Amino acid sequence: MSEELISKKDLLDMAGISYGQLYRWKRKDLIPEEWFIRKSTFTGQETFFPKEKILERIDKIQTMKENLSLDELADMFSPNVTELHLTKEELIKRNIVSSSVMDLYLENEKGSSHFDFSRILEVYVFEKLLQSGEINLDEGKMLLQVLKDHRGLINQKNGELVLTRKLGVSSCLLLINAEEVKFEQGTKIVVRLSLVKCMEEMKANLL
Amino acid sequence: MEMKKRGDLHINGFGSANGGQFHQVTINGKGTVNSDIECVVFDCNGSGTVNGNVMTNKAKVNGNGKIKGNLECERLIVDGTAKVEKNLRVDHFKVAGKATIGGRVKAEEINIKGKLTVEGDCEADLFKAESHFMIGGLLNADHVDIKIFGECKAKEIGGQTILVKHKAPLIGLFKTFIQTQLETECIEGDKIELENTKAAVVRGNHVTIGAKCEIGLVEYTGELSVDKKAIVKEYRKV
Repeated sequence: MSEELISKKDLLDMAGISYGQLYRWKRKDLIPEEWFIRKSTFTGQETFFPKEKILERIDKIQTMKENLSLDELADMFSPNVTELHLTKEELIKRNIVSSSVMDLYLENEKGSSHFDFSRILEVYVFEKLLQSGEINLDEGKMLLQVLKDHRGLINQKNGELVLTRKLGVSSCLLLINAEEVKFEQGTKIVVRLSLVKCMEEMKANLL
Repeated sequence: MEMKKRGDLHINGFGSANGGQFHQVTINGKGTVNSDIECVVFDCNGSGTVNGNVMTNKAKVNGNGKIKGNLECERLIVDGTAKVEKNLRVDHFKVAGKATIGGRVKAEEINIKGKLTVEGDCEADLFKAESHFMIGGLLNADHVDIKIFGECKAKEIGGQTILVKHKAPLIGLFKTFIQTQLETECIEGDKIELENTKAAVVRGNHVTIGAKCEIGLVEYTGELSVDKKAIVKEYRKV
């Protein structure tokens, strides 16, 4: 991966945080283990981070830690918050989803109006993509089916949703912990969406 | 969870049992439990083996306890020998005997007066040691307070306050045989005070290097003081 990396020292300097804070956040699982990348340099081992991701995360932590405790923050960043239950009305009221998209979702799925975490995520993704105009309704339905079939995986892993189109035929993929995907020439990637990011966005809206 | 209706599991003498949900689990002789246990109190006084995971409020090992899975509890006291083959998740962890953890440790408070071996990372809010310890990964704690009493090793140490003190051995004779030194690759913290420490890199804000230290490189942002008896190859202010 050709991500830009930042060394720990520069990070502390840039974000204005101390070693104590960084280690505390790591301990509380606010910063995922995979972001600590070890490399050997001329002074020995040093730790690097994916620059964009870590700066964004630290910024989020710093703005939100005034209102939330560290444990609550950890819940927010962790992909496996499953204790969330909301009704259809609450979701609409909190602007997670618009009422028209909600009706489409329910019509397609024929489920109850009580939503658990996986279903909230599904409807959120559905709303997000339909509203952006990137996909059409049939593609949306296909996407929902993929999400629904792999519910168990999505809650625990780093999932990514990809929708491609070629010669007018669309297909949908769910990538689990994938580093990279390559497509054949002429394939258009319509959507590439990180589910973990969606969950974070969604949780930020809910809190 | 219904706590009241649960029964107890006692093994006195030789015996084996299957796991399950209990109120109290006591192993007094040589007992083996063949699957996962979920209980309120877990007591092991003899030689006990659990071939599975243990989830409990209070665990105490006075004899020889072996858990071939994960251990999850609020309070763990080890006065004998305890071995957890996978991960340990505990709030208060006290070792006066010997504890070996095959995976990683996540705790709020760790207090060691015996010997602790952790293969993976060891995380706690407070890490207090007056003993030997070996940590294969990162020792990560807000407050690290170590009194070196034997050979101490950690791959890396990180946290807010890191204090390492040397404690004189009780009998002078042993002095030459037992190496009393903390050995680590890297120490990073805001406030660092070291004695008898061998480290490749030390990075921090306020750094105090005491007697008998051997440090490859010190990088500091605030203050640095180095004892006359310490060896520091290189230091720079950043």
